[in-house]
Amino acid sequence: MKCEYCDIVNRESKSELLYEDADLIIAIKDTVLTPGQVTIFPRQHFTILEMVPEEILQKCFVYANKAGMAVFEGLQSQGTNIIVQNGLGAGQKVPHFAIEVIPRTEGDGLQLQWQPKQLMEDEIENVFAILKEEAGKIDLQKKKKAEQEKEVVVKDEKTEMKVVKEKGENYLLKSLRRVP
Amino acid sequence: MAPGMPQLTEEQRRELEEKLKNMSPEQLKEFQKKQCIFCQITSGKVPSKAVYDDAVCLAVLDINPAAKGHLLLIPKEHYAIMPQVPDEVLKYLFLIARHFSQIMLKALRADGVNLFVANGPAAGQRAQHFMIHVIPRKEGDSLLAIDEKLIDHELIAKIKSVLEPALKSILEKGGEKKPELKREKKASPEEQRKEEPEHFITSATAKRYHKEKCPFAQNIPAGSKVVFSKEQALQSGKEPCTCVTGRKIPLKKPPEGATAKEKEPEKKMKSEGMKEKTKREEAENTEDVSLDDIADLFK
Repeated sequence: MKCEYCDIVNRESKSELLYEDADLIIAIKDTVLTPGQVTIFPRQHFTILEMVPEEILQKCFVYANKAGMAVFEGLQSQGTNIIVQNGLGAGQKVPHFAIEVIPRTEGDGLQLQWQPKQLMEDEIENVFAILKEEAGKIDLQKKKKAEQEKEVVVKDEKTEMKVVKEKGENYLLKSLRRVP
Repeated sequence: MAPGMPQLTEEQRRELEEKLKNMSPEQLKEFQKKQCIFCQITSGKVPSKAVYDDAVCLAVLDINPAAKGHLLLIPKEHYAIMPQVPDEVLKYLFLIARHFSQIMLKALRADGVNLFVANGPAAGQRAQHFMIHVIPRKEGDSLLAIDEKLIDHELIAKIKSVLEPALKSILEKGGEKKPELKREKKASPEEQRKEEPEHFITSATAKRYHKEKCPFAQNIPAGSKVVFSKEQALQSGKEPCTCVTGRKIPLKKPPEGATAKEKEPEKKMKSEGMKEKTKREEAENTEDVSLDDIADLFK
């Protein structure tokens, strides 16, 4: 499968690259919402956000923030939008996770605002309940991890006790043997 | 001015300005917090539909949502815009954002998710409190739909010439260490001059000379170490080490397929360093997500 961003990574010419290291690339693409837009993406190919390893993902966002600062300083922009389009349905065009940093100025004509969606009360309650329940699991996952770790520790203690006991028995046996 | 803030008379305003001037940074922060509606929300003084709450952040349903399930991920600490947010907080927030993206794809059956940040009124930021919008998307909802433009190489070069030095100084200020790249990067002559060390290291018997940081140089015992300048090095008749020429040679015996190996070390290091962690993560991922469906859509 052809991937536009992997192409940028592998291309001989570095004219589009703003920054690169072993983990990520910051590039200036030729198709943009507005000139000055920069794109941050991991060097390795990951299709969507959920597939990017935690550490690389976090680094991408930290560097996206730095790129945003550079846009503020270098292009004297009055604002920035940081956008991730995750999945075809979210407008993602290249099958390679990326963060877009878009410089903004008053009256630049970019329509990135949305009209508030009118929702029924029960729709809100419904989605609220689902999100709250699922969000609760974010914590649960952490707790599970903590519990698992605890269990391991407890097990270790038990085995240690056994060892002590065995040692004790051995000692007794030894002393028994010593008895004439 | 924030909505709902009372109109002040000239005298009151002057008084307020005077008050602000005399405040200590802590007092000013406290004052700012009182003025900020999202600080009121995160502290629970203003009710909200919070779906997630921890020590660092709060996730609430947006009262003016772009879509059903539109969440705001708000740090509890007050930061006006993203550049003010410390890296560690940012890392944490986007990790939570990823959790919510996953939740929306799975539990809300979203076709995609947008993460959206607006910095500054020009970017559509309404409240002076940094936050991440997490927006579940449905096919054909025509949100954030804007046409892209084609820009030519001249303009790209122009933008690059401005942004590159700006980014570089920001990264250096932040103390970010640039991990070594496997591939050679062409440095500009000025950069090369800067990076070139003033002196090289060798020993009396060695055939090669090295940069100070070269492992070969560090192996030379202090007693027999000889330090000389670039000119002396060139006149000495000794050959430059690969650390000077920039060519790469493997330090240890290269296994078969050395080229394939070159790409791997970083992967390997990580897998060794956090074997347990990644294992657990993998287990988790396989357990509760099958995101292949979403990724497969591209094919």
